[in-house]
Formats: sequence, C-alpha cells, structure tokens
Amino acid sequence: MAAHLSYGRVNLNILREAARRELREFLDKCAGSKAIVWDEYLTGPFGLIAQYSLLKEHEVEKMFTLKSGRLPSADVKNIIFFVRPRLELMDIIAENVFSEDKLHSSRDFHILFVPRRSMLCEQRLKEQGVLGSFINIDEYILDLIPYDGDLLSMEYESAFRECYLENDQTSLYHTAKGLMTLQALYGTIPQIYGKGECARHVANMMLRMKREFAGSQNQILPVFDTLLLLDRNVDLLTPLATQLTYEGLIDEIYGINNGYVKLPPEKFAQKKQGESSKDLPTEPKKLQLNSAEELYAEIRDKNFNAVGAALSKKAKIISAAFEERHNAKTVGEIKQFVSQLPHMQAARSSLANHTSIAELIKDITTSESFFDNLTVEQEFMTGVDTDKVNTYIEDSIAQKDPLIKILRLVCMQSVCNNGLKQKVFDYYRREILQTYGYEHLLTLNNLEKAGLLKPQTNSRNNYPTIRKTLKLWMEDANEQNPNDISYVYSGYAPLSIRLTQVLARPGWRSIEEVLKMLPGPHFEERQQLPAGLHKKRQQGENRTTLVFFLGGVTYAEIAALRFLSQMEDSGMEYIIATTKLINGTSWIKSLMDRPESQTP
Amino acid sequence: LPGGWRGPGKLSQKADEYLREIKEQSMLGEAVKQCVEAAGHEYDSNTQKSLLRVRYSKYLLKLIWAQWLVFNQRCSVAASFGKCFLTDFSPDVFVSTCRELRVLNAVRESGVGLPLTHTQFKQMTLQVLIDRLVYRQFYPLAIEICRYLKIPDYQGVSRVLKHWASCKVQQKDLSDTAIAQVICVKVGDSPGVSYSHIAAKAYECGRTELAIKLLDFEPRSGEQVPLLLKMKRSQLALSKAVESGDTDLVYTVVSYLKNEMNRGDFFMTLRNQPVALSLYRQVRIFIIFITTLCLWDYLCFSDTCSVFGSCVASSRLDSRLSVLQSAVDEYNKAKNEFAAKATEDEMRLLRFQRKLDDEKGAGLLGLSLQATMEALLSLGLHKQAEQLYRDFRVPDKRYWWLKLKALAEKEEWEELEKFSKSKKSPIGYLAFVEVCMKHNNKFEAKKYVSKVTPEQKVKAHLAVGDQEGAADVAIERRNDAEIGAVLSKCPASNHLLIDRLNRARAAATKK
Repeated sequence: MAAHLSYGRVNLNILREAARRELREFLDKCAGSKAIVWDEYLTGPFGLIAQYSLLKEHEVEKMFTLKSGRLPSADVKNIIFFVRPRLELMDIIAENVFSEDKLHSSRDFHILFVPRRSMLCEQRLKEQGVLGSFINIDEYILDLIPYDGDLLSMEYESAFRECYLENDQTSLYHTAKGLMTLQALYGTIPQIYGKGECARHVANMMLRMKREFAGSQNQILPVFDTLLLLDRNVDLLTPLATQLTYEGLIDEIYGINNGYVKLPPEKFAQKKQGESSKDLPTEPKKLQLNSAEELYAEIRDKNFNAVGAALSKKAKIISAAFEERHNAKTVGEIKQFVSQLPHMQAARSSLANHTSIAELIKDITTSESFFDNLTVEQEFMTGVDTDKVNTYIEDSIAQKDPLIKILRLVCMQSVCNNGLKQKVFDYYRREILQTYGYEHLLTLNNLEKAGLLKPQTNSRNNYPTIRKTLKLWMEDANEQNPNDISYVYSGYAPLSIRLTQVLARPGWRSIEEVLKMLPGPHFEERQQLPAGLHKKRQQGENRTTLVFFLGGVTYAEIAALRFLSQMEDSGMEYIIATTKLINGTSWIKSLMDRPESQTP
Repeated sequence: LPGGWRGPGKLSQKADEYLREIKEQSMLGEAVKQCVEAAGHEYDSNTQKSLLRVRYSKYLLKLIWAQWLVFNQRCSVAASFGKCFLTDFSPDVFVSTCRELRVLNAVRESGVGLPLTHTQFKQMTLQVLIDRLVYRQFYPLAIEICRYLKIPDYQGVSRVLKHWASCKVQQKDLSDTAIAQVICVKVGDSPGVSYSHIAAKAYECGRTELAIKLLDFEPRSGEQVPLLLKMKRSQLALSKAVESGDTDLVYTVVSYLKNEMNRGDFFMTLRNQPVALSLYRQVRIFIIFITTLCLWDYLCFSDTCSVFGSCVASSRLDSRLSVLQSAVDEYNKAKNEFAAKATEDEMRLLRFQRKLDDEKGAGLLGLSLQATMEALLSLGLHKQAEQLYRDFRVPDKRYWWLKLKALAEKEEWEELEKFSKSKKSPIGYLAFVEVCMKHNNKFEAKKYVSKVTPEQKVKAHLAVGDQEGAADVAIERRNDAEIGAVLSKCPASNHLLIDRLNRARAAATKK
C-alpha cells in the first residue's frame, strides 16, 4: 500500500510505520468499540498515514466530522475526538459533550490532540466545564508525514503566515520536534546548514533539544549527511512564478491536496458501447498522484512541453506489449503473457488518465491569456521594465481578473525590483482597492509585512546582481532533454534550488556576497556523532541531503531537486521536507484576510 | 591455605606441594573462594592482601604481576589473567570483592570514619553508602567511588553532583557569580543533573539571583519557566518561554501574568515580547469574537488593521463609519498616509452609496468602487458613474474598459460609438473590436477595425473573421510572425490566399 515510500534513497516507510504504531497504541488504550470525531482538516494528512482499514482493525466503527450541536448517534463505547489544538474547536467539543451527556451516560470520551496537546486548550475545556468528562487526553505527534518516496510534508498550511505575519513560531517548534523524531529514526544529522531567520531559530531549537536529551546517545548510523534549512522568505520569487512541470501545472490549475487532485469528469467518462452523453459523471474525478504509479513517476517532473512526447512513446510501448499476444504461440508463452496482463492493463489505464489530464492542461497552456501571463512573468524575471506600471497588469485589473492572479504578478514585479517605486506601489494598491474592494487593504498590508509587496527603500535594486551571480535566468533552456534546473520554469532557475546546488558544490563561501543580500543569517552547525558512527563512504557513493523548506515548497522546486539527484556527476541525493506543498495561488491565499469574500 | 604462603615472593616448596595436594582433591576452588570471602571480612589490609594472593600462589611470576595489577586498579586485567590458571573459579567474585574492599578500606580511613564490615556493607547497599557519604559531604570520595564502581551516571555521579550543588548554593561566604561558576564547571552537561532543581534549592535559601544564574544553564525551558514564575521573575520567564519556541509554554506564562499583574504592567510586559504579544492577540481576537467584549483595550495596543477588518465586516453602517474614522486617526498617527487616504475614500464611498441607495434603491452598499460604477452604468445612471470616476480619480484606462463593457452588455451600440469618439481611446480600439465580437456583433466590431493601430490591425481583422484584410495588412507590413498568424487561421480551402501569403513570406525572409 505504501511501498513507494521505501524505494527511495531513504526508506521513509520507517517513519510511516512508527506513526502507525503510535496510532494503534492510542486506539488500543480506549478499549471497546469506538467512533472518531474528526477535525476535518486532519483527515487529509491522516490519509497519508493510515487508511480506514487500519482504524477498523482497532474497532473504529463510525467516523464523524466535528461540528457544533449534538453528536450523531452511534452505538459505541468510546467517542474519540481527533483535533488540532485550537480554541474554537474546544468550544465545539464542549458543545458536543454537553448535549451528549443528557442522552447517554455510558459513552467514554477521549481527545487526541494532533500534533501536540496544549495547556490553553485544556484550560478552555476546563472553563467550559467538560475537562473532567475525558478519560484520555493524549497527543499524537504527527509532525513530518511521509508524502512520497523522497518527500516529507508537515501539511501545516498556515506556517508561512504564522511565522511572517503573526509572529507565531509554533510551526517552527513543531518542525524542530519533527526533525528530532526523524533523527531518532535515521540517526543524528552531522551537518546543519541554513539560511534565514526561521532556519536559524529551528537550528537553535534542535541543538537545545539535543542538549535536553544529553546522556542518551543516538546509536543509529546516520542516513542523512547534511540538513539544509531554507526560509521561504529567502526566495519569495519562485512560488510566484507559474510552474511549468507536469505536476506543477496540475497543481497550478486544479490544486493537489494531500496527494489527491480533483479533475473535471468529462474527459474521464468511460466510453462504453458507443452510448455516451446520457450519464456523464458529474462528480469530479479524484486521483491519487504519487510515485507508486510508474508512468506518473516518469513524467511528473518533466517540463510540460516534453510530456506529450513521453506519453506517445509510452503508448507505443504499451500497444507493442499488447501486440505480443499474436506472437505467443506455445502454452508457456501465452501463460506468461496472461500473467503480465494486470500490470499492462494498469499501465494502459494510467496512460489513458494522464493523456486526458495532459489534454485538459494543454487547453489552458495554449490559451492566449496563459501565454500573456507567462510573458509578463518572464519579463519581470529577466528584469524588463520592472520599475514601471505594467500594462498587462493594468488591463487585467480593468478586466477584473481573479485578484490572486493580480497579486501574484504585482508581488512578482515587486520582488524582481527589490520593492516598487512609491508611485507605482501606490498606483497598484489604489487600483486593487478600488476594483476589488477596500477590505483588501488588510491583504495588502499582509503582503507588505511578508516582504512580497513593498515600496522601494533607498537601497538599490539588488535583484539583477542575484540573478546574474546565481544564474537565475538561462536563455534557451532545454525543455525536452534538460541540462539545467531552469527547465522547470522554462528559463528561470529557482533561487532556492540554486542555493542548494551551490551549497553542494562549490560551497556557500563562493556566493557570500549574494547570501548577504538575501534576508536572514546563513550559518553552519555541526552535531557531534558518537564515536564509531562516522560513516565510511565508499568510492562513488552519493551523499544525502535533507532540504527543509520552512514555509512551503512548490512541485517545480521538488522537480528541480530530483533532477539534481539524478544528475550523474552531482554526487548528492536530496530528500525534501516542507511545512506544506504550495503554489503561488494557495500561498497568496494563505496570506489574504478573508479570502472567501473576494470577488470571483 | 594462607599459611602455605607468607610474605610476598616467598613461595616455599612445601607450600607448593600443599597446594597441589589441595588441588588434586579438587578443593582448591573452594579454598580460594573461602579465602576471598575471608578477605572481604578482614579489616587489616595486609591480611586482606595475603588472603587474596592465595589465588595466585601457584605461579610466582604471574602472582607478582597480578598483585601489581590488582593494586593498580586494573582488576579486570587481573581477573582475565586469573582465569588461565584457575578454571573453575569465577573471576567476577574475586574482582568485585577486590573493588568492594578498596571502597571499604577507603571509607574506613580515619578521615571518613565509617568502619563498616563487609556484611554491613552488603546489607546497606552501595546506594545507601553513597548517600551517607553525600550527607557527610564527602563529595569527591563519593564521586570517586561511583566512577570506580562504574555506576551509571544517573544513579551515581549525577546524584552526588546534585547533592553537592544543592549544598554549595547554601554557602553564604561565596558570591552568587562564584557559586554559579563553580557549579557550572563541575556539573557541566552531566546527564540527569537538573539545574532547575539546584536553582530551586538556591531560591529556597533565599538566593534568588543565584537561582536565576543557575537557571540559565538549564536546557529545558519547561523546567526553567515555572520556577521563574514562582520567583516572580515574570519578564524573564516570558522571554525564556519565547526563546524555547514552545507556544504552549508562552501561553502558560501569559495567562499567569494576566492573573498576577495589573493591566498596565501586563501590556507593558507583552509589548517587549512581540511573539507573546501576537500570540495573546490571537487568543484575544478569538475571545473578542465570542464574547464581543472590550474592543477598546484591544485597540490600545494592536496595530489596528486586523481589528478594523473584522469590524468592517460585521457592524452596521453608522458604527462602521465611526470605526473607520478611528482607523483613519490611527493610521494618521502611524503615519500610514496611504491607508488613511484609502480609508477616507472608503468612508466617502459608503456615504455616496447610502445616498443613492436611499434615493434610488440601487443596492450599492458594500460594493467596491469598480462594482459600484458597474452597477450604476447598468442602471443607466451614467452621470453618477461619471461623478465617481472623477471624484475618485479612477484611471482613464480602467474607466474606459468598464464603460465599454457595460455599454456592450446593454447593447447600446450607438452610445458606444459616441463614447468611442468622445476622445482618443486610452485602451486602443482593438478592445472595442473584441468586446463587440464577444457580444456577437460583427457589424459594430467592423466599425472599429480601421481605428486600430497598425501593430494590432492583423489581430483586429482576424477577430472579425476577415482573413483577406488581415493578409493585406500583414503582407504590407512584411511581418513574418503576422503572416504566420494569418496562415494558421486561414481555411485550407482558400488556396489563393495561402499561396499569396506564402510568397510574401518567402519574399520577406529573403530580405
């Protein structure tokens, strides 16, 4: 079921198994039949750890979504609330418990806080007078969730907002804790590098936590050689750009959530026996996307322009494989053919799915508006006219295009110009407020606070220097057979990944100047390994780096890192961890106030 | 048995024979065992030695070597050495007896004065012995013993250090700094020694400053903070909690402070800790929403925006205006001109909307400026829309787009044409062509094609479906890309045109 987690360089299934074991232990603590009441936000992340079958094995008979009012009736011994430690949820729980007590008195209540219990929440329950009703109050430490063979995510959506807007560093604390758990399973990571305020903070907490555990030495041979902590605000530009890899575009257009995507159903209708139009499915088609699917693993990180060729090549291989049946003469040959059938059929349906998805995406990427938008993005990234009001943005506002699209572009211009001229800055803001409404003043404030949309200060624009030194823009990027990471954005090489690349070789000392221009400190720490655990590297054996993106990472950045891992001479393999997988839209949305009220 | 062997190095022939005899009777093992046990009970160290030496009496050279080893604390070597000539006797007993004897001898010294017998020692256990030593403040000896007997740190050295430190903090003759220093040097990062425990002791003895210094060495914030609170060092507790990154701990301190302090002090304390302040604010926002209480004390120290945001959404117009007014004041105070101006504009807009809603029932309240103008135009209230356009200094481009779309939407084509001629269009005329086409009015669209700038003319011709016209322009302009664009739109049946375009293209590329 989760075999794809163990194929990578680092067997992430160990982490998943540890998480499952802990879940089982808790469930067994509440003896008898159970119903789980879910904080809806948690169901997605939990799906990556355990399917319903696991819960069922431990006598979970019913599942509800947490909402106010009375709990649905269920003939179970235990009611378990799986919740994040949030005050508003405590009030709902209290309401549930109150309305419950009058009906039955025999049911036992439990709370499982994910990822950590909180004094404040318990206080709240106490104030509401229900704290005593709970038999077990426990915490389920779910910080880093294995997302794919080389990818860990905390699925902590608000991390960036909390860190940069609200000054709330809870997510960093969880990050540090998660990294400690990881080290407990995979050995102490001897080298830590980092860039950015949050990175510094996480590293400090890790070192402090290590001191707390002093005396109990970790005796596991380290799997990771290096940890690189990167603040998202070191590279604000990358998420704003439209991702051009296959997976990136799926996410940009349809949004991938907890590893699933919902697609318009029309293209997926099964055309059986000619009858079609009658009962087209109306429910969106839900697909799980990960490396367990062979074809997807092959094409996900390609530039979209190279996907068509890959798909048709695959189609030829599959039909050739089916043709084989005519050559099968002997019983043995036929038997062998038949035994391969299930695999081939799976490959064929996977091919059909991805051909449909690619068609859907192609409709969009070939549209004029997509092209215009991309052109403007690329102009900004290459530093063309970033100090003037941009006509395309102006027109898009006049057309009342979605606000998030506008914000992405304006922010991008600001980032590429190291802040906008006061006049330009005010002009955009006025345009936005007048068109989309005064309430977005708060959003604009937020973006300014996060450094995404700001007026230019006296200092000169250092973006061109950064771009040149780190070679952020590569003319004629090869999309079909890439030789550089810039293929993921058809020309733009993500800054964050360039930093990672340079760190591996030749080292950050060579870009000291640029590092100083980027926000936050950069640092290096070493963690002492117990004697005898120093790895003896074999000739040609790759080193492994864990890159942790604090505040989110995009699929295109992941693709770029995977590309680096696969490069023959890189000598480095990357495992990626993040607070959340993001794209420009979901990221800007997380920074908006009351985004639900925005005009469509 | 010891009789057979007196004085180091003087093994008589007779004794040797005596021994052999014993061994032959398979009694050597038992005899040795007895000797070792006897040694344990012996007070005089010389007698102990001779009893112990029995083990080695067989081989003189080895014996001397072994003695040397034993008394140079290298018992394990001696033990392994012993195995080679006495197979059926476990060296462990011998080794442990040796070690215990050394310990007992040490505590029997006159300076310590614990004349314990081996039996007593066995009964009271090592733990208790160490405790006794600790209570009598023989710390170095206790630590030596722990190390010598290889007791795990948690039960051994660390425990002694803890006692030592707890005692040290009571020494009145030393300064706080000196004591903290000494403790830090000695204790270092020893596992299991809790600095907070030591600090608590110091606090009990009335040495708060020392306690604070000691707490600085404590790595676990969870331990630091409660004690700091107990010592009423709330500021410090707060900053330590914030440093730890553990939000829950910060909350703990904040809620403690809130109960302990008066309002002013509380806010002042929070002001110095932005992290705590914002956490508190988040909780407050939540509580405000629930209880709708004391907005004011909130405004006093917030940076205003977020609160106003929630008010804008929730309250009625009059209160909304008054909140916005105070927002303007706050923004002015904060020298945020843009926001102040934007807020004033919003108030102006709200008043305007209310007026029109009252007069015409237009249902404008709460709409954005753009949406308001849109609504006005669709209601045919051109004058009012015009007024907003001027009052709010809406850029021409946007207004033209708006009006263009609104008129096309209502299919007021004549009005649109008039508008197009009112002055030179800031958005060009391709927009007119495209908007008309969007409403399927080719006739109107064509009117504007001639006005389109040369660069966009091909596009305009194509938009109205006039390939011939597009081809003319493209060929005239000798623009390869444009010719290509026309070609791609050209129906395959129109050979004439395709040929013409291809020829033109070839000519253009030749140049």
